[in-house]
Amino acid sequence: MRRIMIRFFFTPHLLENVVAVFLTLIFASVGLLFLGISPVSVFISIIEGSILDLDSLSRVLLIGSIMSLSAFALIVTFSCNIWNIGIEGQMMMGAVGTVFIARTFLGDSVLAIPMEILTAMVFGSLFGLICGLLKTKSGVHEIFGGLGLDFIAAGLIVYLVVGPWKRDGIASTSGTDLIPELSWFPTLLEMKFPILPVVIFLFAYLFLKFIYSRTSLGLKLKSVGSNKQAFSRLGLSSDNYILLGFVIAGAVVGLAGSIQAAGIYHKLVPNISGGYGFLGILIALVSNRKLGVAIAISFIFSCLMVGGSTLQIKLGLHASLPGIVQAGLVLIWLLIKASSLDLKAINFVSSKLIHD
Amino acid sequence: MIEFEIILASIISMSAPLVLAVVGETISERVGIVNLSLEGTLLITAMVGFAVASVTGIVLWGFIAASLLGGLIAFLICFANITLHINQIAVGFTLTILLGKLSSYLGQPFVRIPGPYTPQIDVPFADTIPIIGKAILDQNIIVWISILSIFISWWFIYKTKSGLILKATGENPYSAAARGINVRLVKYIYGVLGGSFIGLAGASFSLHSHYGWSNNHTLNYGWICLAIVIFGGWNPVRGALGAYAFGALQIIALKLQGVTFGLSQVLPLIPFPLMILSLVLIQYSNEKKLLPDRVRRIIFGNMPEYLGITYKRE
Repeated sequence: MRRIMIRFFFTPHLLENVVAVFLTLIFASVGLLFLGISPVSVFISIIEGSILDLDSLSRVLLIGSIMSLSAFALIVTFSCNIWNIGIEGQMMMGAVGTVFIARTFLGDSVLAIPMEILTAMVFGSLFGLICGLLKTKSGVHEIFGGLGLDFIAAGLIVYLVVGPWKRDGIASTSGTDLIPELSWFPTLLEMKFPILPVVIFLFAYLFLKFIYSRTSLGLKLKSVGSNKQAFSRLGLSSDNYILLGFVIAGAVVGLAGSIQAAGIYHKLVPNISGGYGFLGILIALVSNRKLGVAIAISFIFSCLMVGGSTLQIKLGLHASLPGIVQAGLVLIWLLIKASSLDLKAINFVSSKLIHD
Repeated sequence: MIEFEIILASIISMSAPLVLAVVGETISERVGIVNLSLEGTLLITAMVGFAVASVTGIVLWGFIAASLLGGLIAFLICFANITLHINQIAVGFTLTILLGKLSSYLGQPFVRIPGPYTPQIDVPFADTIPIIGKAILDQNIIVWISILSIFISWWFIYKTKSGLILKATGENPYSAAARGINVRLVKYIYGVLGGSFIGLAGASFSLHSHYGWSNNHTLNYGWICLAIVIFGGWNPVRGALGAYAFGALQIIALKLQGVTFGLSQVLPLIPFPLMILSLVLIQYSNEKKLLPDRVRRIIFGNMPEYLGITYKRE
């Protein structure tokens, strides 16, 4: 009877994940205790610092959108079985494209924002395409190619900031001049509500959701990753679909770069990607290629980051703590899933229940 | 002449951590394990090495602790990959981010404090020997270890039976298993060994070449070493040459800092395009068969066939 009850309330898959989340949180709390930090106070401060006032909430939405976009990009490439480590570079190029437009005559016109978004997508996808071409045409593994391209993009930004786009008179690595206000992403009313980034990421979500669930393109992108040989036997070029995966990913994450440049910094600075691309890799790893799950994790991580600044002030904790918690959670999750600790726990508990 | 000797000596000294990290990563990749935690491992071992040395006051303890920690991190990657079959890249990458942040967090009490440093060793008559005297003998123990590690690892990989087993496992673990090699054990051993070299490299940053600890003290050196390993064609001697070339580049960048502002920032990025270029050339020469096999291998080296691929025993 009990077994039937358990079956009724939880589909096995859901139960597994709930248990895995529970275990992850327990292990993470133990880890925090080892660092001498109370997990409860961390949890409370994060909630207080991230969603209880409008200012912080806007920031959560802004950073959450950026993270979701980079996680989406990685889900696209993961579905083709590609490790897109070059994501940071693609995001940086998106930012470069945005600032490029803002610095031309277009930057001071009403066309600024649509052109910025478009150029960011083009720049990001072209940079993704380079990585894809290196992979498909020259056999350069995408991890090494992508890593190299990340640093090349970073070098390009430093060159632009201290070279051709340097501020009047002084060349410093603190960034270019601010872009004209017409090319800033608008916020809603007097609040800092980031309406455009939220719209952009929701649009990207719907677009990708549509592609993956309704079109043959989505199916092909998925199957090129799961079985390359079968794919080729169907007479389709796997290389072309891998390239397409890179292009889509680059375009999506280029949008994130555009938000960074026109929505947050309003200029080009070195390290403009802020590590969100690499964080996107972590999010995509745990989201099991599901777009909706990626959004949820992105916003949890975003709360962690925004709430982290409250932690810094209230509990005097170091700024690196949110990053530690994020990466720690991902690592623990990966280990639990791979060792099927969640399943073992369920079996253990249910066997106890049945025996009683 | 004196000027040249001093520059050569400082290149060899500055590059010691890079050489150690490159040798460690080469050993690990040769057996098929990409230790992508390199960047994070260098950061945390640099921090721990410096912390242990400054608490105990003995440099040696710093090196030992860092080396053990490097081995432990590599063990975690091996365990995740060899035993649990998690993708190496996933674990390594997550660890890089975790360890990097952790080094900032745990290293707070040690930021910019004075501590012990690796002492110079006085070799009698070192000054009388031209070039070598200054460049090699007149250094400290960790520089010597870095130089020795190049030749010992080269000899081990290419000239011993154990080295053959190491290479065979990286090239094709299934064939190696068919020949009676305990693939998992071999992977564990050399993965952990490589990791402990990387740990040593981290400590030699904070106790020797980039003395002390500050937030993100060794930032990007891990990625640079990863690039140099590939550029070196998975051969420790050539990898080390790459590391020395990069060390020379750094010294040039340092000298140019006053002259051109941007150049000194961009120069450290040179290994990355070189890495991509060498990978393209490897593939190109493999496909076109422009060169005889032996010559090609000498010029470009060869990527271990099963690099980064999870071994699942059937």
